[in-house]
Amino acid sequence: MSFREKSAWISFFCLLLLTVAYFAGMQHHPHDAEGHDLIDPLQMALAIFGGFVVLQVVSHLIVVAQAPKDARTPKDERERLIELRAARVGFYALVVGELGAMGLFHVHGRPWTLMNTIMLAILIAWLIKLGTEVVLYRRGA
Amino acid sequence: MASLPIDNQIRRLRFEHGEMTQQQLAERIGVTRQTVNAIELGKYSPSLEVAFRIAAVFQVPLEQVFQYRQGG
Repeated sequence: MSFREKSAWISFFCLLLLTVAYFAGMQHHPHDAEGHDLIDPLQMALAIFGGFVVLQVVSHLIVVAQAPKDARTPKDERERLIELRAARVGFYALVVGELGAMGLFHVHGRPWTLMNTIMLAILIAWLIKLGTEVVLYRRGA
Repeated sequence: MASLPIDNQIRRLRFEHGEMTQQQLAERIGVTRQTVNAIELGKYSPSLEVAFRIAAVFQVPLEQVFQYRQGG
């Protein structure tokens, strides 16, 4: 498995973890008896995103340490093509997600819902992009 | 996945050139070993530039490395 394929797998699972952690945190963070947040949602979101960055960096450093020469090899034409094809699929997913978020905003009209649906659309589009990369690497082209 | 209508002789040419490995060929033409493998298996059609580089490594004309399958 090439460094870039490993990188796509790592990013996919880290992002999946981030998505689950973010939305589980937003849905189930602790409240007091009067319904006030015991944890600031913004701080919690920043902590989750910080954890995502650390996890990504550490995982990539481990992979680089295992095969440093492979990691230093510049992207070749097949890898660039895979990235472009995956980005195109991700872009369409993002457009559909953003239109869905706008539609939902017209129904609910709450900025908090709009923000989170936009966030969900971005994360899902990114997951689809990375998932497409993984599939294309597995298929060979 | 539909197979590409291009055959290649890279595996045979590598064997005839001192059993050159995919990694050695990849380093000489500036791609990854996985890309050489994908080209060999007919899963990926390389650019003209890479195709010419492969032919140059084996010192043969391009058509001895790649053949277009008519009606493929």
